[in-house]
Amino acid sequence: MSRVAGAMLLWAAAGLAQAQAAPEALDWLRKIYQATEKLSYTGTFVYQQGERTETSRITRRADASGGMERLEVLDGPPREVVRTRDEIRCYLPDSRTVKVDRRRDQRAFPALLPAQASVLMEHYSITMDETARIAGFDCQAIVLAPRDELRYGYKLWADVKTGMLLKARAFNRAGESVEQFTFTQLEIGDVPRERLRPRPAARGWRVEQYAVAPANLAEAGWSVHADLPGFRKVVEIRRMLRHAQPVDQVVYSDGLAAISVFIEPIAGRTEPPRIGLATMGAVNVYTREVANHLVTVVGEAPAASVQRVGNRVEFRRPQ
Amino acid sequence: MKSRISALMDGELDARELHEPLSALGEEGDARETWRTYHLISDALRGGAILSANCAPRVAQRLAREPALVAPMPPAIQPPQRARWFVPSALAASVAAVAFVGWVALVPQQGAGPAPLAQAPQAERAKEPARLPLTSAAQDYLIAHQAFSPRNSLQGMAPYVRSVSDQAVARKP
Repeated sequence: MSRVAGAMLLWAAAGLAQAQAAPEALDWLRKIYQATEKLSYTGTFVYQQGERTETSRITRRADASGGMERLEVLDGPPREVVRTRDEIRCYLPDSRTVKVDRRRDQRAFPALLPAQASVLMEHYSITMDETARIAGFDCQAIVLAPRDELRYGYKLWADVKTGMLLKARAFNRAGESVEQFTFTQLEIGDVPRERLRPRPAARGWRVEQYAVAPANLAEAGWSVHADLPGFRKVVEIRRMLRHAQPVDQVVYSDGLAAISVFIEPIAGRTEPPRIGLATMGAVNVYTREVANHLVTVVGEAPAASVQRVGNRVEFRRPQ
Repeated sequence: MKSRISALMDGELDARELHEPLSALGEEGDARETWRTYHLISDALRGGAILSANCAPRVAQRLAREPALVAPMPPAIQPPQRARWFVPSALAASVAAVAFVGWVALVPQQGAGPAPLAQAPQAERAKEPARLPLTSAAQDYLIAHQAFSPRNSLQGMAPYVRSVSDQAVARKP
């Protein structure tokens, strides 16, 4: 099946002036997507950004009902994130809070369809790189190099046998690493159900539900555009964060990176808004004030791109 | 040493006498300061536009702040060769020195990354926003955003470590 898809991709690529990718590299990407969906595993990985590193354990159990996944941060306060088919629960012991995000789609991005691959190839050149041994697994490296400076590049190392992603690095225009995930230990194979039970008792903890409803920002007077080539609108919703006023969210993606625009009234906030730019690895967060509203742009993209999206947000009172 | 540097600038040293002052000038120190001062005096005497004594580091800083050139460097610009030091003109040496500073400042910025096809508009670069620490308030946004990231399809839950980062919680305002 993948060969047929590969042939279709080649044909699609021929129509694009710039797009070119080794078909083998695209097959590898597809293999990684499928492994993420189908494998059961448990392992320890290190997340590195700037001078900081943080170790976490990840456990995934694949089954017919969509599987379950559990992330435990092993350094610092024992935070956990547990995903089931319907929701994502974040356990935060510091604030004794459980944040619950309902999942609307099983997968926002199903396995690379030819259309998506051709969009990807328009903005990234996708090539095979070296082979390397990581945490005892023989891996193949694939590089997604951006064709402009509006997005980060990625290097992925996948297990030759299963396609499981053992290492992922995001890099900037100068080729410098902005963040990296590396497995230091991994076991692929069946995982008992008990291993997925969240550890915190969480009795008496505050539960915050991110209730979601459809939204229409244009009707409310907002003009929001990604203004970045290749970034298309994925979703436009209204949700409750922190039990406060509703927050509107628009998400754009180029197939690999996503950028969210959040808009909320300033009046309902307990703390004064802080205007500026914050960074967490490959994620930049840009905040600005527009018409008594707080606009927060969160994106896995360089600061200039995230700012550009934020600076394009405008409000005009609807007639 | 000062008299030797003066003689060097005037082209009065022969080949055997060159080694000592040149190696002294190879390192930052009194000799190099003397070299700069003498050039400044020389420029002043000729009535040229006077550059302040510490202009070199500031030129380098300004160059570092300029956006990197996308075009490849023309092959004509080379680091000054040793032979240039024999030119008995103070002016030629200064020009060579400035060219060298420019070369040094520009070359590392070419970087290992791919040449950009689209540049962010200059106006956006000029407006540098304030750098903020990530606050706990951002955590909700990071969690709400992460659900829609295509990275989840490649990496599963791993990218959620950013959403529940200790760093965000620790720096509560």
